[in-house]
Amino acid sequence: MSETTRITRDEIDRVSQRVVQIIADALDRDVGDIALGSRLVDDLEAESIDFLDILFRLERAFEVKLPQRKIMDDARGDIPEAEFEHGGVLSEVGVRRLQEYLDEVPVERFVSPLALADIPRLFTVETFCKLVVRSQRAKQA
Amino acid sequence: MTGALRVFSFVDRIVQFEPGVGARGRFTIPDGFSSLWPSLMVEALAQLAAWVGMAHTGFRRRPVAALAGEVQFGTYVVPRQIVELAVEIDECNTDVVAYDGCARVDGVPIVEARHCVGAMLPMEDFDDPKAVRERFEVLCGPGLPPQTGWDDALPLQYDVIACDGEARRHATVRVPEVAAFFTEHFPRKPVLPAAALADAQIRLAIGLLAEARDADWRLLRPRRVLGVKARSFVLPGQLVDLYAEVVGATADVAEVALTARVGGKRVSTGRVEIGDWDVS
Repeated sequence: MSETTRITRDEIDRVSQRVVQIIADALDRDVGDIALGSRLVDDLEAESIDFLDILFRLERAFEVKLPQRKIMDDARGDIPEAEFEHGGVLSEVGVRRLQEYLDEVPVERFVSPLALADIPRLFTVETFCKLVVRSQRAKQA
Repeated sequence: MTGALRVFSFVDRIVQFEPGVGARGRFTIPDGFSSLWPSLMVEALAQLAAWVGMAHTGFRRRPVAALAGEVQFGTYVVPRQIVELAVEIDECNTDVVAYDGCARVDGVPIVEARHCVGAMLPMEDFDDPKAVRERFEVLCGPGLPPQTGWDDALPLQYDVIACDGEARRHATVRVPEVAAFFTEHFPRKPVLPAAALADAQIRLAIGLLAEARDADWRLLRPRRVLGVKARSFVLPGQLVDLYAEVVGATADVAEVALTARVGGKRVSTGRVEIGDWDVS
């Protein structure tokens, strides 16, 4: 990932408090239960409906658009879809791209083969902070 | 549908339609509806929004209830009142339809819904796309005659299993194996309407508070629901565990957390604020 696309710690810190509050509200949790590294599914028991709720809340709070497939589309970038995933499973190229994109997620959590349906299990609170920052950058561009 | 008995269709006519943007519709309250009015008015708005979503996808996909961010309830409805429905679409694509809506009687809001979302799924799993399109064309044209039928299976009857003082209540409800509303919700995949489950949950909450206050439950009403999420389909014949827990209270309003589980798995969550009828 290039330096221009890397998200800085300052950028994450600027949005993290609000993102954590939004996730806490959406999941009916205390803010104190939630850290940047908290995994939405495995630690906070988020389900697919919660992801929808979180995305819409983030959109309203930060006045950005966060399409459901944004993380996957951004991770794929200019790689043709057929090279990125096949039959609902990421290719080796796809896993490497996703690893680079989700650089807040420990490398050992990227198992191969990685099913598309299992990708949300990788997401942490920091993933959503970075999603917001990228969307804010895109809006300003 | 035009010739069949309707028991769970709460849009009689679409009077204004702007693809992907919004719609206005009309519905005449049938006999039997009144006791379930809060949740079923939300269902009416959801059905109107669903028509926008379904038309947007060429009737290849249809939304199912997913999330109601905030719903404010006003006064109640009575049979034969005409409800004016209006939805504004926030987002509409092959994955979701997100909307706000308002139901009014004689210009007075009875339900205002914000930040609602329906998740879009393949139409063919639920209904015949051609039949649905034909129904839409009728709704946008002459409309349907007012619904006169009502399903005796509604409201759902629950049994209170446990009370924990004035704070918590646990009840169970057996979803009927057969019910008229399953023929419409949905013809190819009968599932319990989220609104019917929400209605049972709200009544459980009202019962909990009425007993806690030693009050007549009829003097209490839902003021607002927050963050209601339909997490999983509930199927005919399933046993649903309902939980209501008071999580906050002021002089006017008590907040009750609602959870429904099937086999231990959460199928619905949300919160309801309950207050008195005589305080607006």
